[in-house]
Amino acid sequence: MESSDEQLCRAVAERKPEAFDLLVERYQERAYRIAWSIVRDREEAKDCSQEAFLRLHESAGSFAGQSKFSTWFYRIVVNCCLDQQRRRRGWRRLLGWRDRRDEAPDAPDPVEQAAAPFADPAEGLDTERRMSRVWALVEELSPQQRAAVTLSCREGLSTKDIAAVLSLSEATVRVHLHRALNTLRRRIGDEA
Amino acid sequence: MKDIHVDELLIEHVRGELEGAEAARVDAHLAACAECRAAREQFAGLMADLARTAPPPPPVHWGAYRVELRRRLERGSSRDLGGWLLRPAAALVATAMVAVLVYAGLPGGLRGPGAQDPLALDGSVLASRLDMIARLDVVQQLDLLEDFNVINELDELPEPSKS
Repeated sequence: MESSDEQLCRAVAERKPEAFDLLVERYQERAYRIAWSIVRDREEAKDCSQEAFLRLHESAGSFAGQSKFSTWFYRIVVNCCLDQQRRRRGWRRLLGWRDRRDEAPDAPDPVEQAAAPFADPAEGLDTERRMSRVWALVEELSPQQRAAVTLSCREGLSTKDIAAVLSLSEATVRVHLHRALNTLRRRIGDEA
Repeated sequence: MKDIHVDELLIEHVRGELEGAEAARVDAHLAACAECRAAREQFAGLMADLARTAPPPPPVHWGAYRVELRRRLERGSSRDLGGWLLRPAAALVATAMVAVLVYAGLPGGLRGPGAQDPLALDGSVLASRLDMIARLDVVQQLDLLEDFNVINELDELPEPSKS
């Protein structure tokens, strides 16, 4: 019978290398995909997801089993990505570079600010083009909102789990998701 | 929860996350509100499309990924506190060793101030100023000055013994 993630995590805490290898094989793609949805860079996503596995190896003993292993581990992945972004922002500040979001962290959501693109009514919009446009708008979300949309729609996490992963309240996750998806929905409506 | 407007709960309604009184409230509202019904359908379609059409991240060779991870695991995380603390210390030790080796390799290197050959010691101190090597012309002129001093002091040199 196949071991559960939680059982494997306990085995990792007991320093059983085969358990760690199994967890890596199970979660490598999801960890990389979530990291990529936040950092949007192949090498950084690889680095962050590997760092998450290293932290898992170090702290497997602290997994209390009160949440699902996946929720606990996704939280580690997201924290690695946010740490990486903080470090990068620190260096950017030190070197005098400016990030649009650093300058106005409370600015309105860029998705809501984006101008409606010109659409040729003669051509119409097929599903592929429409979704391509929607994903282009998703790219402009803040890392946390993008992570919330990815964790919700792609990974199928519940609002409660997303809140645990992103260290936010459920109410905040609900607002993030509602604002992001509502804006995308309106955009699609405008362009159709 | 009662303060939350129904439209903010539509996404969770689509995902089947609402329970009890909350689910009943949204159901009742949807039965009476065509606008929210339409919005709910649009959310459901959009979320299904997002799940189906999510662009894949750039491909990764998973075998190489695991080998790299194993290496990182064996040498310890490069970002742990110990690593950050040890790096500057290692750099300082390496710099000091290079300085000692460079000094020892120079003429008169590792001789104390009371050594027998003060000229050689001066030369080694001079040469240890690596930037002087970049200005070889100046160094050559210093050599000429040294020759000039020797010529000036010829009178003071002991006369060779006449055999």
